[in-house]
Amino acid sequence: MGNIAEYIKMAFKNITANKGRSFLTMLGIIIGISSVIMVMAVGDGTANAMNAEVQDLGTGQINVYCSDDAVNTEEWMTPEDITALKEKIEGVEGATPNDGASGTTVTGKGEFSLNLSGGTEDLQKSMNFNIKRGSYFTAADVEEGNRVCVLTDSDAKRLFGSDDVVGMDIEVDIGGISSSYRIVGVTQQKENTSFISYTYEGMPVSLDVPYTSFSNFGWESNSFYSVTVFSNDQASGEEVSRDIIHTLETRHHCAGEDYYQIQSFQDMLSEMNDMLAIVTTFISCVAAISLIVGGIGVMNIMLVSVTERTREIGIRKSLGAKTSSILLQFLAEAAILTILGGIIGILLGLLGAVGACKLMTASMGSAISPGIKASTILGATLFSCGIGVFFGIYPARKAAKLSPIEALRRN
Amino acid sequence: MDNLIKVQDMCKIYNPGENEVRALDHVNLEIQRGEFVAIIGHSGSGKSTLMNMLGCLDVPTSGTYYLNGKDVSSLKDNQLSEIRNQEIGFIFQGFNLIANLTALENVELPLIYRGIGRSQRHKLAKEALIRVGLEKRIDHKPSEMSGGQQQRVAIARAIAAEPPVILADEPTGNLDSASTGEIMDILKGLHGLGRSVILITHDNEIADQAKRVVRILDGRIVEDYRNSEKKAQEA
Repeated sequence: MGNIAEYIKMAFKNITANKGRSFLTMLGIIIGISSVIMVMAVGDGTANAMNAEVQDLGTGQINVYCSDDAVNTEEWMTPEDITALKEKIEGVEGATPNDGASGTTVTGKGEFSLNLSGGTEDLQKSMNFNIKRGSYFTAADVEEGNRVCVLTDSDAKRLFGSDDVVGMDIEVDIGGISSSYRIVGVTQQKENTSFISYTYEGMPVSLDVPYTSFSNFGWESNSFYSVTVFSNDQASGEEVSRDIIHTLETRHHCAGEDYYQIQSFQDMLSEMNDMLAIVTTFISCVAAISLIVGGIGVMNIMLVSVTERTREIGIRKSLGAKTSSILLQFLAEAAILTILGGIIGILLGLLGAVGACKLMTASMGSAISPGIKASTILGATLFSCGIGVFFGIYPARKAAKLSPIEALRRN
Repeated sequence: MDNLIKVQDMCKIYNPGENEVRALDHVNLEIQRGEFVAIIGHSGSGKSTLMNMLGCLDVPTSGTYYLNGKDVSSLKDNQLSEIRNQEIGFIFQGFNLIANLTALENVELPLIYRGIGRSQRHKLAKEALIRVGLEKRIDHKPSEMSGGQQQRVAIARAIAAEPPVILADEPTGNLDSASTGEIMDILKGLHGLGRSVILITHDNEIADQAKRVVRILDGRIVEDYRNSEKKAQEA
């Protein structure tokens, strides 16, 4: 019996002698491995980018809202409640009601729909924007109900063709009542925040305004369904949440009624991650199935190859090849095909991942770098070699066990 | 001196039971070292079965077979492979070369399975190809050679490892008369060098070129004579 190197050489000879068949065999493995690696890399990269963005946004945001049990507006949160939350709870840096209205405006560029977000000066804290020109509206503006507004540079360009618009007025029309708002600040989007503030053409223009300014349109803003509280970094989210509920229930004399509910950013983050993990798992399953299908392809080609080469097996056996020699030769062929396919698959998968991330970065304006993990590559490679050996064994054994007379008789 | 081949009371029965076929029926045969024997018979006479037994490609149903002093009649598959590799050089009617290997690589095959190192293997294979007159065809594939040349590669493969027995199964069956002459000359030359050659054929003319003829019919040996004696009798 010769040594392993001879069988590997024989296997290489056979693979190169049947290039078309060898390529088809590898194709299944290539597609399987490259899709697994690509999906995993893009999935991880996206998750990392989203996490980084959300983390950057401030983990200290806590959303307080009234449950369905709180049918009465009496239980809704008042401006006094908001002041109390800000002043009495340790670790709270600010609070703002989440008030809003939709309207329209007409400028030299045409008619635009508007999304007005009403809040206190603390609304600034919830933004993933930096001030570019002017300044945000102040506590005094909120107190006096001034008609002032802040908008993004991109919205400013849509309305006026320039972002140098501080001091200009916007005529806001809500439900037939018109009122003029002075622009006091222009903001600029922070980098890498496109997942949270994705914009498109035709989307309403967003204006941040003091909630008190809505009285100009004929309604008083004095109770709110939803409030956002900002805690500082040191404060424990759980403690602050408990204090918020306690304060509100005390003020509204409704302890234990579960009128108020809390959703913190951490909750949203972990929910989002769970969803992403489910999607990644699902796609990985699909990719794994393609790996298995590829493996079955290898097995079929090996079976065909064995049938085609029955006579060769007979010749080799008559010349003194043992069962183990034939087995080794065919196993070496299967292993080489899958290892080669694996290497090509890994390279294509990495290339594909980089390409897909570049495309996504370009189209979404958010930098996604492929999350390539050594464990994914190692796993995919081991899996492909495992498939090669596993699916190579059956036809190889079948070939090796043939009696030489029978094998020689076939054509 | 031991017999090279000693077959005692050998039977081979296919489909034992209702429709059994006695391909070999109590065959006894002895062949000495250095003999040139032709085994002749019509198709269905059992000569191919006998060749399979002598070539250790199959095992008999009963009886014993001593090859080069060893009882090989009840060996397992892998042990038979080893015996074939060590003791027998096969030459087949259909050449049985491997299509995608060159002449040299084909000749090297039995040497690979014997575990002979690369350089020694090259040397032996080259020598064998030179002996059959194919030194200019070393790197040709079977498809690039004539039938006669292919059969010469097969002979080189059979003799490269210097096995005690050369077993040729209708070696000229697929060849024209010119190539047949060449192949028979090579076989006679090998016999002249002291090799033992066993030739299986259905052709009386071919059998006449051997030293001894064993005729088989319905699984039995019906004639066993030396060509020289027969000619003397006829004269």
